[in-house]
This record gives sequence, structure tokens and C-alpha cells, in this order.
Amino acid sequence: MNRFYKNIFIFTFVAPAFLVLIGVVFYPFIYNVVISFSNMNLRHIQDWQMVGPVQYVKVFTEPTEPNFYVIFLKTIIWTFVNVFFHVVLGVILALLLNQKIKGKGIYRTLLILPWAIPQYIVALTWRGMFNYEYGSINIVLTKYLHLPAVEWLKNPTEAFLACILTNIWLGFPFMMVVALGALQSIPHELYEAADIDGASWYHKLKNITFPLIKPVMIPAITLGIVWTFNSLNIVWLVSNGGEPSDNTHILVSFVYKAAFNLYRYGYAAALSIVIFVILLIFSLSFMKKTKATEAAY
Amino acid sequence: MKIIRHLLSIIHLSSIILLSLVLFLSCSRRIDLNRIVIWHQMRVDERVILEGQMKKYMELHPGIHLEAIYKETEELRSGFIIAAIAGQGPDLVYGPSDQIGPFQVMNIIKPMENIFSEAWIDSFNPKGVTWYKGHLYQIADKLGNHLTLVFNKNLLQKAPETDIELIEIGKRLTVYSNGDGRFEQYGLVWNYTEPFFFIPFMTGFGGWVMDDDGKPTLDNRGVVDGLNFIKELRDIYKIIPREADYNIADALFKDGKAAMIINGDWSWAGYKKAGIDIGIAPLPKIVKTGLWCAPMVSPKGYSINVNVSKEKEKIVVDVLRYLLAPENQLETAKQLNTMPTWRALYDDPFIKNDEILKNSQIQIDRGRPMPVVPELRAIWDAMRPSYQAVLGGVKTPEQAAKNMQSLALRKIAEMNE
Amino acid sequence: MTSSKNKKIILRILTHLVLVIFTLIAIYPVLQVVTISLRPSDKLLSTSLEIIPQNATLKSYVSLFTDQPFLLWVRNSALISLTVTLTGVALAAMSGYAFSRFNFIGKKVGLLGLLVTQMFPATMLLLPLYLMLIYLGLINSYLGIIITYSATALPFCIWTMKGYYDTIPISLEEAARIDGCNQFQAFYKVILPLASPALVITGLFSFMTAWSEYIVAAQILQDTQLWTLPLGLKSFEANMSTEWGLYGAASLIVMIPVVALFIILSKWLVSGLTLGSVKG
Repeated sequence: MNRFYKNIFIFTFVAPAFLVLIGVVFYPFIYNVVISFSNMNLRHIQDWQMVGPVQYVKVFTEPTEPNFYVIFLKTIIWTFVNVFFHVVLGVILALLLNQKIKGKGIYRTLLILPWAIPQYIVALTWRGMFNYEYGSINIVLTKYLHLPAVEWLKNPTEAFLACILTNIWLGFPFMMVVALGALQSIPHELYEAADIDGASWYHKLKNITFPLIKPVMIPAITLGIVWTFNSLNIVWLVSNGGEPSDNTHILVSFVYKAAFNLYRYGYAAALSIVIFVILLIFSLSFMKKTKATEAAY
Repeated sequence: MKIIRHLLSIIHLSSIILLSLVLFLSCSRRIDLNRIVIWHQMRVDERVILEGQMKKYMELHPGIHLEAIYKETEELRSGFIIAAIAGQGPDLVYGPSDQIGPFQVMNIIKPMENIFSEAWIDSFNPKGVTWYKGHLYQIADKLGNHLTLVFNKNLLQKAPETDIELIEIGKRLTVYSNGDGRFEQYGLVWNYTEPFFFIPFMTGFGGWVMDDDGKPTLDNRGVVDGLNFIKELRDIYKIIPREADYNIADALFKDGKAAMIINGDWSWAGYKKAGIDIGIAPLPKIVKTGLWCAPMVSPKGYSINVNVSKEKEKIVVDVLRYLLAPENQLETAKQLNTMPTWRALYDDPFIKNDEILKNSQIQIDRGRPMPVVPELRAIWDAMRPSYQAVLGGVKTPEQAAKNMQSLALRKIAEMNE
Repeated sequence: MTSSKNKKIILRILTHLVLVIFTLIAIYPVLQVVTISLRPSDKLLSTSLEIIPQNATLKSYVSLFTDQPFLLWVRNSALISLTVTLTGVALAAMSGYAFSRFNFIGKKVGLLGLLVTQMFPATMLLLPLYLMLIYLGLINSYLGIIITYSATALPFCIWTMKGYYDTIPISLEEAARIDGCNQFQAFYKVILPLASPALVITGLFSFMTAWSEYIVAAQILQDTQLWTLPLGLKSFEANMSTEWGLYGAASLIVMIPVVALFIILSKWLVSGLTLGSVKG
């Protein structure tokens, strides 16, 4: 192919998408970088000035309650536990649904409901389900499993667990759909050939299924991690804004509180940039490990 | 030639996309002098009345279009800040008076004392016109937003007047019979995880959130004794649930499983709708201190966006005068049992004689005005963690009071840096 | 023979058991929303556990269609979501292809750049986005919101498309080129149909983004005539006195198009490579 032609081809294919992204994401991002070096807050909302890296120093040293590093640790736990279960449950369910079984269509449809329903009302419904006396979860625990009732929303650890459970419920259908799409693209011939060779169920999974769904799953997982790290809704709604005692915050809900409750825009911008850098470093190393940016062939 | 053809087909594809986008441009509208937008955080039954009154205004003034948009309290604030800084936003914002503090500091609302005549401003109850730093920033159509004791008349004839009676009646009306770990009925419920709902107990034991200069005063006896009192209700007398947020308390009362609830004037209509025969009573007196439990009281009203032009101001003023007119306030009062701000209306037979309004009035008189300063926000944020820690058994009330105070001081410093 | 047959039956039963358990977990909270929508009084929670509440009523559904501009919101949302889906899929299909098939300067940076866009807390982007849309005159318009939504969904879509194209052998295009197709035709006629499972996921995702987004819409669309479904839904809310019946009913109706779309699209999810191109 002509080199000139090839370049134009690439340009026309890539440029429209990036044009949109530059406008909607890139410019606001730069704006935030600027703000993070300013003193924009309640007293200086219109007449803010550049003050240097003051806000960054505050992010790391200010004796916030709860502590920045504690929230950071919680965010990591939050992200990994969630994504782990999203992927594991999603892939298992997709594998089960990818067989010839009765009622496949019905299962498949019902299983995506958590993804389809508006988040606000179900998150609050889940909060109700975690109630000590009247929530269905404790009723199931005490009546049917004969376990002691759990004070889900009153203790920090349990409240955090409650948020995680809700978010796992909310997130697995997405991974299931992605995995299902990937699974269904694997040619049957490969399995047939493996059957002829007498390969076991486990071998087929390891040598055919996983390598072939990997190119689709890796981007989904990478993005899943980034999204979960930054997902505000569930933590905010299930824990009612960080209850009990601001113990259920992750970094984004903390930013949200800083920016909007106390009008500390400069500080919130700096904290956001810190979150961004953490995620960037993490994703780079994750992608290096999985070689996601390189072609599978 | 071939290259050009390919190029064309690609450009064709992308231009279709762009064109389809541009078509939507026609849907955007221009800023219109005759279009007045109000952002409010009214609940549904209030909105219905407001919209009815707006409709009447539009019939009287053809060519002028009023639009009311509901936003949740927090969203209204953050949304209005963003929009107003960018030189846009609604013409009028409606909400409780504590939003005036931050809006004034950010300079996004207009002083109103020179826009309206002195005589007109004088016809309002002084509690309904909010002055801050020497300027008038908000005129209210409702007084209140206050907590009272609501009781289920099927379970209880007369509300308790003191804390001792409250405990007595509470014990009598709390039912726990079959031993399955769930109570059949509670004497009293309320959203006791939220500091706003703690204020009546703090004041009942003689405390208050801040002094006249806006400095927090949270390390006080009222906080300690109030916290102890709530813990006693829960752990010793066992007349309130072990865990109750707003929705749980609401559900218990609507299901008829709670004899009394502490809730605001906004909740009354919902209880009637759920078929509960409710009575309203002022919150009880704490015998030990001799003080009444006093909730925070705030007017709810309109402020004008700083971006409203001089030309448009005339229409906005006319709209405001209409919405705040006595006949409209009376209509709202009759339908929602809210307390109007137009002074002459206090002689109206309905306002004078309505059972709910009478008790509501007593509660308002006993209540304390909600501070307007932006520091209040930091105080709520500072109270919440320690308050919940006491209820969770992690802190003692004394520790909590100390921590609340120091955290409030720090948050205020952070906010004002 | 019999033992392997038994084994198969046991496996089948186990499969169903796992699926049934997860289906129950998936639908239970949704059923709670059904309960909320059927209650005569506006209650989010209840002390009883029955799915069909006492005095169940369809009042909320009726009032949704008669008292509320519900159909207007549906129309606005459908218009926006479909445009976003088309734009998103087209842009992603094209740029994903370029990322998969060519090496060019800035490819890695570009791919990373896509990911980077997702790393910043979205609430912080709101103020500058708003300022820019005012500058461009796109505030209070569908165009503004469509561009924003397309950009939100794009990174995931491009990545998915790129990942999927990577699994399609280049030999297919080479064969097409030998048959006389040019690069664009090879992409359009051979590769794109093969990529349908990824296109479906991309489409579904773009649709979902636009269909359920609230925060940006609330800031950009300030005219009630332009309101989307999530904005309408939110208007049933009120500080401490939400109309839960209407909210529940509307939430369930909002769900229907997504589920329907999924059922319709699942055909394409299945097709993919089984159409026979690989065999030939």
C-alpha cells in the first residue's frame, strides 16, 4: 500500500474519535491541573490565584479524618475485591450459559437485570436489605441459616462489606456479557479438534478458552479496575455518604465531599490529580504484565 | 483517482455522523428575557401548588414564561455555584436560608433591599426575611422546616410533654412479645444517625452549635447529656430501634409499627397518605434542665441570581411579588399546613385555629433559627463522625464532644484558608 | 457408558442449580423495586417481606403515563441514546481498526490516552466541561450532551473493538485484497461483519451510558422540554419525601428497552464467526 495513502487512512479512522475526546475530556483535565495549583475555594471562587503546589502538600500531610493513606488502602481493597468477583462470576456464568442448556435465554436475560436497572433506587433498596432488624439479609441469616444477625450498617468493616456486596451484584452482568461475546466467537472446530486429541475439560479451558477470550477480557478488566476505583454512586448511597463516622470512604467519595461539602475546589482538584497518577502508574504496570497494548498475533 | 474515491467514501461516512449531530443544534434555545427560571428543592405537594400559581401568573401576563425546576438540595447548591460562576443559571433560587451564607461569600446572589420597597419588605415577619452582612438576600414564603413530634392517634391519645412522660409512654407502647429478635412495635422512632435530628436534644440539655461570631461551641454539656439521653432511650429503656436511618424510621411509622416519630413538617402529608391518623405536638421538655427540646427553624424562600440583568430584574421582581403575595401564601398554608411569612395573615381565622398549625407555631416559637453562615456546613461535617461513633459504642459522649469541637475548628480553618 | 451418562446428568443439574441461585440473587433486589412500585403509600422500605404488598395497586404506572410527561422523556432519551450509539459504534469501529491493523507514530500513546481519560474522577470534570460548552454555545442542547456521552463511551468501545479485531486473522483481509478489494472495502465488507459480537457489546455499552446518565445531563439540559429519562426520574425525588411509587415504576420501565435490546442483540452475539467465513 502507498505510504501516503496509508497515513491518510489511519488519520481519517482515528481522528474523529480523538477530536471528540480532546474536547470533552482533555480540556477539562488541563483545567483541573491548573486549578490544582490554585487557591480556588469558598473565599476565592471567582478571584482564585496560582499558589503553587500547596494543595498537593495538603493532600499528603493534612491530618484529615479519615487519613488519606487509610482511604487509599480501602480503595485498593475495594477495587480488587470487586473486580475479582466481577470477572470470576462473569466468566463462570458466561461459561455455563455458553453450553446447550434449557432456558438459556431466560437465564441470560434475568442475569443482566442488575446492569439494566437504574442504580439509585436499587442501591437504596440494598441499604434497606442490610437493616439490622427488618432487612432481608439478616432475616435469611437468622431464620434459614441459623447464624447470628449482623449489624451491617453500624460497624465500619461490615458497612464497607455491604458496599462491596452491592457493587459486586451490580457489576458482574457487565463482565458476563463481555465474556459471553468473547466465548461465542471461539470456533467450535477448535474444541472438536481438542476432543479428538482426548483433551480434558480443564485442558480445553486452559489452552483454548482462556487464551482466546483474553484479548477481549484484558481491556475490560483494565477499564473495570479504573471504573471501580472511581465509582462514586454505590459507596455514597449504600453507606449514606460515608457512614458510620466517615469510615466507608474511598478516594472519590472523599474528593466529592471535599469539593462540594466544604467548597475546597483547589484541594479537590489536587486530590483528583493524585488519584489520576496512582491509576496511571497502576494501569501501566498492569498492561505491561498482560501486554494488552500489543496485538495478540 | 482510486485514492480520491476511497477518501471520499471515508469522508462521506464521517460527515454523515457529524451532520446528524449538527441537526440537533436547532434544538438549542437562546436566552430569553421573558423566560424566568426558578430552581427549587420543594417536595412534590409544594411543587404542585407552585406550578398552579405560576400558571395563573402566565395567564395574567401573556408572553412571559415561568419554569420551575426541581433539584435535590445539595445538587441545587453545587449546580447553582457552577452555573452562576459561568455567568448563567436560573433567575431565582429557592431553598432554606442556610444556603445564603456560601452564596453570599461567593458573590452569586443579589442584595434585594434596594430592589423592593421598604414598606413591602416590612409586611413580612422579620424571621422570614434573611439579612446577612448588612444586605437582604432572601425573602421566604414559608417558616419552619422544623422537627416536631408526630404521633399515631390510633396508638396514643395525648403526646408526652416531658422527657419522663416520653419514656413512660414509650415503654408502654414498645411491644416485644414473640422473641424472634424483631420488635412488633416501637414507642419512638426517628432518623437518629443524622446530626440535624440531634439538635433538639442538644438544645434540650442546654447546648448550641455556635456562638454569635460563628465559632463552634460543640464541646458543651448539651452535647454530652443529649448523647447520653439517646443512648439511654436505646440501651436502657429500649423504646427506640437499635438502628434507624430516615427510611427505616419512615417505614416503621407508616406501617403503624411506631407510636411516635420525630420528623419535619415535610413528612406530614406522606403520613396522611399512608393512612395514619396523625397528631402533631411540640417536642417534650427536659425536666432536669427545664428547657424545651428546640429544633432548628429556618425560613425557605427566594434569592435572585447575580447574573440577572437590570432589564430582566423588573420581570423577576414582579414574579417574586406575585409568588410571595398573601393570597398565594394563604393557599399554600391551607393545603400544606405551612406557616406563612406575611404578617397580616397571622390574623386569618384559618391560621389562628388550625390544630396542626397551632402546634407547629408553638414549636417554631420554641425553636432556634438556623445559622446562615457557611461555617454551619463544617459543623455538620464535624458532628457526624463522632456522633455516629458514640451510637456505635466506639466513643464516650465526652470524647465525642471534644472531637466534634476540634474537628469543627479545623474544618472551618480548611474552608476559609 | 452409564457412569458417563450419569455424570453428564449430574453436571447438567449442577449447572442449573448454580444458574438458578445466581438468577435469584440477581432478581431479588429488582423484585423489591417491583414491590415499591405497587405500594399504595410512598414507602421505600417496609417491615414486611412480601413481594406483592397489601392493597397492591397499579396507580403509579397509570399516573406515570397520564400525569407525567413520561413519554416526552422516553422520546428525548431514545433520540439521544440512539444517536450516541450510532456515533459511538461508528467512531469506535473505525479507530479500533486502525489501532489493531497498523503501526503508526503515537499508537501506544493513543491507546494509553484512551485509558487515561477514564482515570479522572468524573465529578471534577463537570465545571470545566460546563464552561467549555457555554463557550461553544452548546449548553441546553442535544448536541452538547451527545458529544459528551459519545466521548464517555468511546474509550471502552475502541478498546473492545481493537481487542476483537486482534483475534481476526490478517490473512482474511489479505485474501480479500487479492480478490480485488481495497483496504476500506476489506474492512467494511470482510472484517466488520466478523466483528459483530464486539460491535454488539460496543453498541450496548454506548446505549447504556447515554440511557442512564444523570449528573452531566442535569447540568447541561436545563429546559424541561429537553429532559431525559434519568432527569425525569430524579424529579420524583425530594429531600426526604420522594415519590417512591412513581420512582419504582419508572425505574422498571426504564429497564425494559435495555433488556429488550439485549435479547435482540444476543442473536448477533451468537453469530460471530459461525457464519462460515473461517471455514472457507
